Amino acid sequence: MSRPIYEVRGVSKRYGNVQALSNLNFHIGAGEVVGLLGDNGAGKSTLIKMMSGIVRPDDGEVLVDGARAVVSSRRDSEHIGIETIYQDTALVDTMSIVRNIFMGREIANRWGFLNHRLMREIATEVLRSGIHISGIDSPDKEVGDLSGGQKQAVAIARAVYFKRRILLLDEPTSALSVRETEAVLNYIKQLRAENVSSVLVTHNLYHAYQVCDRFVVMSHGQKVYDVAKADTSIEELTRHVVLT
Amino acid sequence: MVGADERLPIRPDGSSGTAPNNSFADWVRGFRRTTDASILVVFVVIQIVCIAAALIMPTSFRYLSGPNISVMLQAIPSLGIVALGVGVLMIAGEFDLSVGTAATFVSVVAAMLMNDMSISVWIASAVAIVLGTLIGALNGLITLQFAMPSFIVTLGGLLFWHGMTFLVHGAQSIGFRPDPVFQFVFGGSLGLVGTSFLWLILCCVGFHMMLQHHRLGNQIFAVGGNRDAATAIGISPRKIKVIAFSIAGAMAAFSGIINATRVNSINPAQGQGVELQAIAACVIGGVALTGGRGGILGIFLGAALIYTIQDVLLLMRAPGFYLDIFVGALIVIAVIFNQVAGNWFRR
Repeated sequence: MSRPIYEVRGVSKRYGNVQALSNLNFHIGAGEVVGLLGDNGAGKSTLIKMMSGIVRPDDGEVLVDGARAVVSSRRDSEHIGIETIYQDTALVDTMSIVRNIFMGREIANRWGFLNHRLMREIATEVLRSGIHISGIDSPDKEVGDLSGGQKQAVAIARAVYFKRRILLLDEPTSALSVRETEAVLNYIKQLRAENVSSVLVTHNLYHAYQVCDRFVVMSHGQKVYDVAKADTSIEELTRHVVLT
Repeated sequence: MVGADERLPIRPDGSSGTAPNNSFADWVRGFRRTTDASILVVFVVIQIVCIAAALIMPTSFRYLSGPNISVMLQAIPSLGIVALGVGVLMIAGEFDLSVGTAATFVSVVAAMLMNDMSISVWIASAVAIVLGTLIGALNGLITLQFAMPSFIVTLGGLLFWHGMTFLVHGAQSIGFRPDPVFQFVFGGSLGLVGTSFLWLILCCVGFHMMLQHHRLGNQIFAVGGNRDAATAIGISPRKIKVIAFSIAGAMAAFSGIINATRVNSINPAQGQGVELQAIAACVIGGVALTGGRGGILGIFLGAALIYTIQDVLLLMRAPGFYLDIFVGALIVIAVIFNQVAGNWFRR
């Protein structure tokens, strides 16, 4: 197997007397979709937060493309090309889709004035070519008027446009309808074809099984199972999630 | 980052991104849902009623007389300029209750520099505006450093700068007598229109450009609309909010200088109550108390509406407390209108 694009080795994190992560090894390959599974409190969210730079590990090291790296802020993880899609997506309801897509990364001239025309064209293109969730007819729509699935679509479209290498999806489908969930899962598959890696945190093993190439099951801050899709089945995964 | 843009098709109608949509009807639909739209309707209706009344009773209701128009256009900027700064800060999700007393403080300092140290009014006014900006920045730094509600921090500021004015100068009025050029530029008039009104218009245009067409404005809306989202995407709420606080302070100082130039003296006791009028103008103009929503046209019309009501009551020789009754009711009605009608418009 080729070298992982992102790897953590022996990371630990304590909150008071709760050991959220203990001596965890985890890696992501290029264009790989990893399903991160486990019961509540297994440490999945802590791992995601650590990878996105919001939480600093107490111990252990991070390797990006095989080289040691320090990820201690959102800026650092953004620089590596990591984007996190949360259940409550990082969108501003009172702003339009265009403004949300380019929030903090506006296209502007040298005096900082916005190039509305270019941003709008790109947003239109991104919405059309990307995830096809019905109902978004104009990039000027206010995000607050969108459904949960449409919001996820905008957040993912934003991550894709800015050429992220790794998407961290923390329970992205828990608030979505069945159809919207399908669309998001399909989108993850499309992105894999474009060599974008994803880490999908979910409670729904069927969703995970549908899109993931590899599964990592966590329990009590440790990795208890790490298996390629070809070598396992839903039944076996269920057993590991439930019994560990 | 934007390497793909050359490949993107240019829309055949060549529509610009600044217009929300392609046709005029779409533009109207887009505008109707902005916060500015409802206040514009209310403002136009009230103006039509006032103008009709003035035409029917030209002698008893002198709304359209030259002196009345002139006085009104001079009164609007003193509130309007403060309200612009306060409005931008509210969009960023914070309040500043200290703008009124801080404005008085910095203009008293400017007057003292002129009177006691013979410093030019231009320099003294520049010092006042820099001082106002720093006071705003200080409010912001305290608010964010200690994660406090800006309401409390600036309530402290309100009292603090009120007291400081009396400490540095005392209770008596202080003269503010600029040279004729300064007097004309900031307190003169061209026909019925005062130069201060032109400054307000200029500020409105500048602020509109900043909010709608500049990166900073986009980030102000983002931070005020959803602070966590802005942080997650890499915008620093601390930086943006301190800038917004500084803008509010600078605009307060500017209005302090405009006021001082208009009446050529400063009463150290003045300024209290301005902060609430400024918030009232913003709220009437559709700025959300929760941040993230608002527009410059609305803020301007909000300030203009307050003075229109005041003017009408004066023309009808109504006692002053009627103003409080009307403005008070207007604030509540405006918020209800923006909540209920705003949601309905968006369907």
